[in-house]
Amino acid sequence: MSDLPPQGLPVDPAVDRGRAPERSAQEIPELHEVGCPDELREEIEERMSRYPDRKSASIPALWAVQRRYGWCTPEGIRQAAAVMRVTPAYLESVASFYDLLHTSPVGEHQVHVCTNISCWMRGADELLEAFAEAAGCDPHEARHGALSADGKVFLSGFECLGACDIAPMASIDERYFGPLEEGDAARAVEQLVAGQDVLPEKALAKRGLAGDA
Amino acid sequence: MPETRVLLEHAEDPKLRTIDGYRGHGGYASLEKAYRQMEPDEVLKELEDSGLRGRGGAGFAMGKKASFLPRGDMAKYLCCNADESEPGAFKDRELMQRNPHQLIEGIAIAARAAGAGHAFIFIRGEYDLQADILDEAVAEAYEAGFLGANILGSHCDLELVVHRGAGAYICGEETALLDALEGKRGNPRLKPPFPAVQGLYGGPTLINNVETLSNVPHIVGKGAEWFRGFGTEQSPGTKVVSVSGRVKRPGNYEVELGIPTRELICDLAGGPLNGCELKAFYPGGSSSPVLTAEEGLDLPYSFEAMAEAGSMLGSGSIIVADHTVSIPHMALRTARFYHHESCGKCTPCREGTNWTVKMLERVVRGEATPMDLDIVASVQENIIGNCLCVLGDSMAMPVGAMVRKFRDEFERTIAEASGSLAEPERIAAVQAPPEAIGTMP
Amino acid sequence: MSKGREVTIVVDGREVSAVEGEMLHDAATRGDVEIPVFCYEPKLGDPVGACRMCLVEIEGIPKLQTSCSTPVRDGMVVHTRTEQVKEAQNAVVEFLLVNHPLDCPVCDKGGECPLQDITMGWGPGKSRFTDPKRHFEKPLPLSPLVAIDRERCILCYRCVRFSQEVAEDSQLQLLERGDRTYVGTFDERPYVAPFHGNITDICPVGALTNYTYRFRARPWDVEEAGSVCTLCPSQCNVSFTVRDEQVKRVIARDNEEVDDGWLCDRGRYGFEMFGAEERVTGPQLRGGAEAGWEEAIAKAAEGLRAAGAASAAIVGDASNEEGYLVQRLLRQALGSPHVESRRAGGPSRETLLRLALPELALRTRDIDEADAILVVGTDPLHEMSILDLRIRKAIRRNGARLVVATDRPTALDGGAAAVHRYAPGDAASVFSELAESDVLREAEKVAIVWGERLGREDEATLHALLDLAETLGLAGNDGSGLLEVPELANGRGLREAGCLPDAGPGLTLAPFGRISRPNGASMGKTTEEIRAALESGELKSLILFGADPLRDFPDTAAWERALTAAEHVVVFSMFENGTTAKADVVFPLETHAEKDGTVTHPDGRLQRVRPSAARPGDIRPNYGVLAELSLALGHDTGVTSQPSAFAALANEVPFYSGIDDSVITGRGIRWQDLNAAKVEKASGAGSPDTERGAPGGSTESGDAARGVASADPAPDASPASGLTLGTYRDLWAGPITELNPPLKFLQPQQRVEVSPADAERLGLSSGDAVRVSQNGSSIEARAEIKERVQQGVCFLIEGVGDANANELLNGGPVEVEIRKVES
Ligand SMILES: Cc1cc2nc3c(=O)[nH]c(=O)nc-3n(C[C@H](O)[C@H](O)[C@H](O)COP(=O)(O)O)c2cc1C
Ligand code: SF4
Ligand code: FES
Repeated sequence: MSDLPPQGLPVDPAVDRGRAPERSAQEIPELHEVGCPDELREEIEERMSRYPDRKSASIPALWAVQRRYGWCTPEGIRQAAAVMRVTPAYLESVASFYDLLHTSPVGEHQVHVCTNISCWMRGADELLEAFAEAAGCDPHEARHGALSADGKVFLSGFECLGACDIAPMASIDERYFGPLEEGDAARAVEQLVAGQDVLPEKALAKRGLAGDA
Repeated sequence: MPETRVLLEHAEDPKLRTIDGYRGHGGYASLEKAYRQMEPDEVLKELEDSGLRGRGGAGFAMGKKASFLPRGDMAKYLCCNADESEPGAFKDRELMQRNPHQLIEGIAIAARAAGAGHAFIFIRGEYDLQADILDEAVAEAYEAGFLGANILGSHCDLELVVHRGAGAYICGEETALLDALEGKRGNPRLKPPFPAVQGLYGGPTLINNVETLSNVPHIVGKGAEWFRGFGTEQSPGTKVVSVSGRVKRPGNYEVELGIPTRELICDLAGGPLNGCELKAFYPGGSSSPVLTAEEGLDLPYSFEAMAEAGSMLGSGSIIVADHTVSIPHMALRTARFYHHESCGKCTPCREGTNWTVKMLERVVRGEATPMDLDIVASVQENIIGNCLCVLGDSMAMPVGAMVRKFRDEFERTIAEASGSLAEPERIAAVQAPPEAIGTMP
Repeated sequence: MSKGREVTIVVDGREVSAVEGEMLHDAATRGDVEIPVFCYEPKLGDPVGACRMCLVEIEGIPKLQTSCSTPVRDGMVVHTRTEQVKEAQNAVVEFLLVNHPLDCPVCDKGGECPLQDITMGWGPGKSRFTDPKRHFEKPLPLSPLVAIDRERCILCYRCVRFSQEVAEDSQLQLLERGDRTYVGTFDERPYVAPFHGNITDICPVGALTNYTYRFRARPWDVEEAGSVCTLCPSQCNVSFTVRDEQVKRVIARDNEEVDDGWLCDRGRYGFEMFGAEERVTGPQLRGGAEAGWEEAIAKAAEGLRAAGAASAAIVGDASNEEGYLVQRLLRQALGSPHVESRRAGGPSRETLLRLALPELALRTRDIDEADAILVVGTDPLHEMSILDLRIRKAIRRNGARLVVATDRPTALDGGAAAVHRYAPGDAASVFSELAESDVLREAEKVAIVWGERLGREDEATLHALLDLAETLGLAGNDGSGLLEVPELANGRGLREAGCLPDAGPGLTLAPFGRISRPNGASMGKTTEEIRAALESGELKSLILFGADPLRDFPDTAAWERALTAAEHVVVFSMFENGTTAKADVVFPLETHAEKDGTVTHPDGRLQRVRPSAARPGDIRPNYGVLAELSLALGHDTGVTSQPSAFAALANEVPFYSGIDDSVITGRGIRWQDLNAAKVEKASGAGSPDTERGAPGGSTESGDAARGVASADPAPDASPASGLTLGTYRDLWAGPITELNPPLKFLQPQQRVEVSPADAERLGLSSGDAVRVSQNGSSIEARAEIKERVQQGVCFLIEGVGDANANELLNGGPVEVEIRKVES
């Protein structure tokens, strides 16, 4: 848009689509307007009931939306907002603050490769590149998040995941694996896409204490 | 030198995770003692006497903090800080994954001391496995009557909710944690008022780290005197230390506070990788000013010794760098972390972390001059003490220390990188494309 | 406010007295020590301490502290100019400029920009930052009215705090985190909310600017002219930014007693309609023919003279002086008592007097400190917008408890401790419930905000209100009382100026009529009676001053007939409309930017409207036109100027006596604070008028006399039949959006709000086209399902250009049928 004096008023596409004041982002949507699936509504309501203040359930509610739709879609946010009686803007603001909640589409599977200090010292950059190659996405883009060529895997460099003992490591569909070698990347992506158990021998869940090794 | 396992005792037993396994090792006896035989004030006194210091970073005396909560029957809260997101720290993960009931028992006892009726475990969103484990354990504890209404007939109630975060280091800062738990963006609040007076939902709130609370059943079970038998006068007890980076056996080791740092790094963690030489380390997570090997290896690993050396014990996480590690690059990684995690609320942290990253990127690209290093140092000075919370300082202190202690290496890096600008591959290896950093979609 | 004790602190060596607990920044400012701030703005609520600009040194505390968030303690010693403080200030300014584009030469804020000023005064002089700054597309429309330049934003939180903590629309939010943070809305939708323009006033940089002002002027070639907005009864204090005698911008002129420093978007952007094509810019004769002033006045006078006492006048949008002169013209020049200022219904003089008792009067500011607030018969958001913000503030910051009692769900329901709903037309029934309300009974200070619309029902409703006030012991209880939300912007002023059928200036028994009765009172006709009498030929001539019955009054068809039947119609109007089309003579009206006069705020505050802009075309001051017309009819008012007009008015209104410009000043004066005793004197004069439904009198006969159909919501009518129709005046209905290019996008389309249950019964979904009909007349609308609408009722908007709900009204609540139409 140029910085010249506007001729008349700017035409906002949203206004063109006929958003009268009350159709704007302003209102807390009413449930009947948003078509919220019952299970989602029940889950959010159950979450709200756990806290002295219903707003505390905003992160759990957004998790529920993300699990259902793959990411925090505008429709999903409106559904959660209607159940929680808050504005959609409020929930979007919350969602966008947190790294694990996505306000734009991501793949079915998520691979977060830690590139923070300890992992970096043990080859995290190379591991991320190996994942990028395996998934067929641009390694530079992958630092901040990129979709695999087939759109199924979302790969992203990540800050310290709290597993420096298994550096370099990755969180794959929310479970930790490490220490990983470059060769593990291709295998992991294959297994993910094929719906198999991923790198079972490298799962953090199965490790013993370092001092007992 | 062996470990001194108190919190990690029996941790190798996979059944410890279940309530039966935990009780098989004597678990929940302290809770029964605290609820059946002790008045809240007695529990509080035991905790105060133990001298237990917070294991989350600041090292504040836990019992003292609990005593700051006002008496009376207003709604009070307890929050367990399980956000553990500081680079280098992974001890809380281990404690929750292997021994969730120890934490739950600690929370229930601390809640009795503080008069809290509602407790929350704020666990970082990435710890999915551990959150599931906690959820199961909490359900078991409710079932057994250790949580819920009228615990063991004491007329005390305690609700405990496991609250998963969603990925933001700042939520580990205690007031940001409160905002996040209230369902907001995790921005730190102004202090005062302190959470002990006005915290969650405006009520008095006790906030403690996972490891701090995991110590509580042992103190109440065996007494403050027993606890003080470990560690030093000012740093009593044992500490689960996360050691990582360029060592042979990275991992969590539980030791008495005050043992020589060298034993942790060189014995327990196996020392430097073959053919490498220790260069420097962060003694207490990425927020602690780095110590060179000479400065730090022979210091006792205690709160007071680290503070005296101009650094801090922090969360008790050691990250080791050897001679293969470029300090300017390490400074850049550190700065990038804080830049990425700055909540953006206050100016010096938001802009200072951004500016520092940009300058350090120029340093490693060879596009800086030694004068820029002065600016880097000065910007760190301008951040320290001027921010709303200490996240800004947490970058400025280690980065400032690195520039100060390794000035030569910074200057050498600039010179080398500017000489090799012609080799695009090398640059690509160390730098992100400038447009990918700090600019908006 | 519960004030803390007085303490003394030392700032830069100077002793400053302060109130314990107040923020150090404020105390220092009072001691003439300026501490720079960006995020601090007490109007927005608690300080956030985010920008770090206000750091100071406090003896005994090692770290610098933010003075905006540090409460003062006795004996505090503070330094704001030490080396350490200067370094911190330099650092913060330098950090703020890291990502600021410094495009001041092309920035609208240039010359009035806090960032510019503070950089000059407290910055390091130069920046060492040489790296690339962050980039955003700029400027982008945040709404059709406000542009956002995210590169200039310094993330001070002010605008989002306004949205969250003042307007509470929670639409404007921060998105993302850290230095990627930006101000935005859900799904990039426009920020459309009734108060959103305020963010352009509070943004300390040029990040938020008005499209209506972009590149229109620079601070050094404009003048600021203080006046009062008369677009609604809030009567907010405004400052017109004037260039070449034209209004270029409207900004708030902070008056804590009136508006708290906020404006609604009507007031802020409404001025663009001053130049609308439809504006009447000179006298016109029938058919829109332009006429000279002399000719038009002669023509108007001729018709009026012919009708004589068979004339009537209805006053709408007018100043006190104008209202006074109209009633004087009617009563003294024409000898007619038929003067009204109410669109429909309205209580008798006696009831009005009781409602206006000074000991029952609530100051607007009292709401801030009230323990409980009752909102009854009005939705302040639509009828007196700025009050909505004040009530929210009382709840949010003072813990006031709110009770809402309305037919239609209000914007305030969400914050209410209790909500009572009644069927349209049946407000009387709710007062017995309210008398039992624990929230109200337990409160020490109770503020009752009530809608004049309650007076559209029979008089018993207002007596019930007075009884409630008595039950709650409001009279004489300082900080408690009644505040009316009138239908007209100057509704209170007009009534006090004598625009009532049964009362003259000062609510005295109307003294001027020739048709007087034994007690000396003159009995004029009410609005409905005027309409009926015009239709029947009993009245022959009508003056409409700033009133548009075809849009604003119930029963449009009957008004069409009445205006057609009238022999002579003189209309004073700002715009051409359906009513002017039926006029014999049209006179132009001034806008509130052009007018010279006074208005009376609903809480009794006289405020001065000052001419700030040039009158377009051949428009003359309205008071002068009225004086001339009087003269042409043989009555010399002696009015030659605004002061003389006001003096004549004040002379007749006992409780305005002693008030003039020097008393009103820029902030206004509540007459109760000056002349409280004088209204009682007035109320003591004369005996109750038994014919017009005096207190305790037969309300039925009162209703019959006024031709008002009796309220019958028929709740027990068979459910399959129609719904009881309620109507309300939407904030955006009327010329304000229709004639105003920048606000056009807000023009409401008629929609009928129904409950989910009724929607299901009628097979309706939101958005369906429907026909709403009543006894032969019908309008088209869209269906809108609203969870909070009660079953059995539905709501339509009054005053919209198309499908106006007034077409379906005939004086009382009506039953309507709703049918889906296939499009
Ligand atoms: C930026 C920042 C991040 C923090 N992260 C954590 C954390 O992840 N876990 C934690 O226990 N404490 C963390 N802290 C420290 C907490 O603010 C707080 O001091 C601690 O939870 C108190 O518990 P303790 O006394 O038991 O240590 C953090 C502090 C800051 C400033
Ligand atoms: S847009 Fe203006 S008011 Fe809003 S945060 Fe940015 S600088 Fe502050
Ligand atoms: S640095 Fe990778 S898990 Fe911590």
